[in-house]
Amino acid sequence: MKKTLTLVITIASLAATFAWAEEPRSGGVINTVIQPEPPGIIAGVHQNAPTQMISGNIYESLLRYDTDLKPMPQLARDWTVSEDGLTYTFYLHENATWHDGEPFTSADVVFSTDVYLREMNPRTRTILSHVKSIEAPDDHTVVFTLKNAFGPFMLAFEAGTMPMMPKHIYENTDFRTNEANNHPIGTGPFKFESWDRGRVIKLVKNEDYYEEGLPYLDGINWHVIPDASSRAVAYENGTIDVLPANSVENFDIPRLSELDNTCRTEQGQEYFSPFAMLWMNNREGPTADKRFRQAVMYALDREFVRDVLWNGLGKVPLSSFGSNASFQNDSLPPYEHDPERARELLDEMGYKGEEIRLLPIPYGETWVRWAEAVQQNLQEVGINVTTQSTDVGGWNQRLAEWDYDLAFTYLFQYGDPALGISRTYISSNIAKGSQWNNVEGYKNERVDELFDLAATAYPDEKRKEYYHEVQEILHDEVPVGWLLELGFPTIYRCDVKNLVTTGIGLNDGFKNAWFDR
Amino acid sequence: MNFFARFAQNRGALVGLIILTIIILMAITAPLFFPESPWRMLQRPFLTPFEVDGFPMGTDTMGRNVAAGLMHGAWVSLLIGLVSTTVALLIGLPLGAIAGYYGGLLDDALMRFTEFFQTIPSFALAIVLVAIMQPSVTSIVLAIALVSWPPVARLVRAEFMSLRNREYVEAARLVGQGNTTIILRQILPNAMSPIIVLASLMVATAILLESSLSFLGLGDPNVMSWGYMIGAARTVIRQAWWLSFFPGLAILLTVLALNLVGEGLDDALNPKLSRERS
Amino acid sequence: MLYARLIIMRLLKAVIVLFLIVIFNFFLIHMAPGDPAVVMAGEAGATDAEFLNQLREQFGLDQPLYVQLWNYVSGIATLDFGYSYRQQTPVFDLIMDRLPATLLLTGTAFVMSLGLGILAGSMAAARAKKLSGSLIMALALVFYATPLFWVALMAVMLFSVQLEWLPAYGYYTVGADLTGFALALDIGQHLILPATTLALFSMAVYTRMTRTSMLEASQQDYVKTARAKGLAPGVIQRRHILRNALLPIITLAGLQAGQMVGGAILTETVFAWPGIGRLMFEALMQRDYNLLLGIFFFSAALVIVFNIITDLVYGLVDPRIKESS
Repeated sequence: MKKTLTLVITIASLAATFAWAEEPRSGGVINTVIQPEPPGIIAGVHQNAPTQMISGNIYESLLRYDTDLKPMPQLARDWTVSEDGLTYTFYLHENATWHDGEPFTSADVVFSTDVYLREMNPRTRTILSHVKSIEAPDDHTVVFTLKNAFGPFMLAFEAGTMPMMPKHIYENTDFRTNEANNHPIGTGPFKFESWDRGRVIKLVKNEDYYEEGLPYLDGINWHVIPDASSRAVAYENGTIDVLPANSVENFDIPRLSELDNTCRTEQGQEYFSPFAMLWMNNREGPTADKRFRQAVMYALDREFVRDVLWNGLGKVPLSSFGSNASFQNDSLPPYEHDPERARELLDEMGYKGEEIRLLPIPYGETWVRWAEAVQQNLQEVGINVTTQSTDVGGWNQRLAEWDYDLAFTYLFQYGDPALGISRTYISSNIAKGSQWNNVEGYKNERVDELFDLAATAYPDEKRKEYYHEVQEILHDEVPVGWLLELGFPTIYRCDVKNLVTTGIGLNDGFKNAWFDR
Repeated sequence: MNFFARFAQNRGALVGLIILTIIILMAITAPLFFPESPWRMLQRPFLTPFEVDGFPMGTDTMGRNVAAGLMHGAWVSLLIGLVSTTVALLIGLPLGAIAGYYGGLLDDALMRFTEFFQTIPSFALAIVLVAIMQPSVTSIVLAIALVSWPPVARLVRAEFMSLRNREYVEAARLVGQGNTTIILRQILPNAMSPIIVLASLMVATAILLESSLSFLGLGDPNVMSWGYMIGAARTVIRQAWWLSFFPGLAILLTVLALNLVGEGLDDALNPKLSRERS
Repeated sequence: MLYARLIIMRLLKAVIVLFLIVIFNFFLIHMAPGDPAVVMAGEAGATDAEFLNQLREQFGLDQPLYVQLWNYVSGIATLDFGYSYRQQTPVFDLIMDRLPATLLLTGTAFVMSLGLGILAGSMAAARAKKLSGSLIMALALVFYATPLFWVALMAVMLFSVQLEWLPAYGYYTVGADLTGFALALDIGQHLILPATTLALFSMAVYTRMTRTSMLEASQQDYVKTARAKGLAPGVIQRRHILRNALLPIITLAGLQAGQMVGGAILTETVFAWPGIGRLMFEALMQRDYNLLLGIFFFSAALVIVFNIITDLVYGLVDPRIKESS
């Protein structure tokens, strides 16, 4: 009898706690860090990572994406795609308003996409080049008609890529110098409150947000703490509740993860899929020979780097497509760490010990150590490597001018190959002045053809065929070295619930987060 | 009393000399004790000192042998210190000599130029120079030399000004020796003593400067120097204090030794009357 | 009257020197590879030539170098130091925002090193033949030889990590939102480690210089006369020896004070102190030309001002100079 009673009471109280614990509560201000201090907080104007992190809470796009990159409604509550994949119709929320009270309508969508983003964002410009027309049949419907089927189009409506900007504020003005840039007006769950330069950026709850009950938080404070060790200390002494991805040095992550009331997640990077690569100059020198590039892949000990420098986080990539990218061809033979094979290839091509310059990324300790590791790996197989030290300005310059032999980089693959992967390999993307296009100078007509066909093919099975073939070619030719699919963990207090629920993590995640205190 | 006796009288200088000799030996014998490149990743990272045989100072973040880095680093520090001091002397000596010997407008102009250089904070200038030339051993040596030459010029000028009116210089002129000959053969040899003392101190400063630059990440990435080791250890100071401790100690001892030797040289070369020394 | 003319002459010279420094630094900085547009484009993660050109035009970087120089120099003449491209704020505001932190740090270090240095030096001079004197000098020598950044790291490790007595980084406790006296106390706590490490080297210099200076002064004739007159040793020490021994120290102090900004770079980096030393380093990395030039200008101005002050103080203290002028 007593036992049964105890059991019942235990179960009842457990159930009660669960029910009670799962019920989100309103209130609380989150303290987090932003690194480096962004030049601005409007994703339309600046496209770097810290800007996007803050901007995504103020500005929204038509859709959001979960951690499997499936679209979810945002400003568009529903949508349809025509059979042939050429017409996308979005039905907008009727009661969404801008932070200044003006209603959000389809006119804003047309303005943002057709006018504002075409001018301001190079990446969005490329995506929109597939669009024939953008029309607003009524105040709450927008129709995108494409020139050709474009599979990744559904993935383009993300807060940083396609943010909705208020037409009534920006139309017919100079977008970069408009006064309103100092006080951003969006439709998002949080409003801009203040920016104390060098100290803190404050956002507050949007009381008139069109989604009932959201957001739960009262506000977000983004603290500017320039030093990685200081950020770690701030988390330890309770000042900071959330350490976003890439805000502390990798060496501190194990220690911080072990602290009390500390949780860690690797999710929230799926949309971006950061991918570290090694540019290899396809134009001149030993790197122009395919066998040299293959030798480099065999010489690298990628597992060592993942374990020692990245705390075992991230994945050793199979080939050019990361594991989050759609249409990955996983039947390709991996490039194992095989120094013998590397030496064979170098002998075969007749490598005479010419000096090879290695350019590391100048963004922190981990990258410097990585360059040292790679230099060792390569020297072990007989490649004469000299590391060039350079700062941010110099690194950008060298890549933009193609003045390198081997150079580190990391880019975002953006889920769909047409968005983030093809740009690295198609020959039309060879142009000086950018570090993000086909910097290695790789030219293969069949690869160009395949990427072109695949981008506009319909339906997905057709795209898969093309992409699988292109991966086979790339795997053999190794235009660039594939180093690591990066794992950037977010570290946070366990009583912050529901923090990372989307494919872009904190960038738009605070909407659903709540404090269990 | 001859030179060596005077030098040996300063006990501190003797200590300094011993330390310096040890460090030079370290640099020379490094390939003997640690034939592998100090960049080789040989063991587990973060080994504590003496945990594994052959790794008396443990390993760093990448599993590299700290002791190997320390010994190979001695060579780097000494080399850079010596070469940059030499270059600074090559710049400052001629400028100071000309200013001091000829005087007048030339002196004025050169002294304004020297002052101008000294108005710019030297460390900041060094950083900018390295950033422009992009870090490498050459650019570091040049940058250090370019910010270190003004004191040389000043000293040489002062010496030349006081020596140019000596009798033997008058005599040389009367005999018909040209200005350049007088500068090189008559005055310079007599001015060498304070220059040598200054040079020894400059090597010490150069080593400090190089390690500061490497610490900030502006060192040559192909060369393992003590400053680099401390800089690399900065982010992991909680986990592995020994990574910063030993290289720093090495710098401290080297600079200390050079200063002591400099003072000894000062005593030996410039004996002054009733010098109070403890 | 004579004094006034002296000061005006010096100020005129100062202006010319500053002007030359601006030009020199302008060309120097533009020699570094890359420019702010390239850096910002690099952080954007996706860029094309159009984007770069837009940025360059916005920053005025597409104009020929001599035009940019002229614009800058004419701006300076009206005390307009330009705009930081990256931070979208006037350079003057940015510098004024960070300058107090550096002044606080270097000012404290300066006072500490001068005060303690002179004290230690005179003690060492008074105990010249004893063990305690040697000990002081040995310690001074060790501090002189210690690399600044290393002792800073060791201090952090010992006092912050191990003993947890003092905070390791920053200027104030982030998020604590303290004000008034509590804030002053908080800043003071954060100031201790960085100021002390910065002061160590100078302290050693002053100690050694003071000792040498005082020993030399005590050999002078007027001291022997004072002793013969029967004055107490303490009085002799203070009134005669110290006063004359101070002269070379003042010169040195002037030189050191001017170099404070450079030395602060390392301290500010290790302790994450938000001063202009660090700002300079960041501006260099970001190729933020205007900001970098502005900082150099201010540092040079500080050095020149300190040189002038040093000469004035020297003139006041040294009776021989007063007589000759």
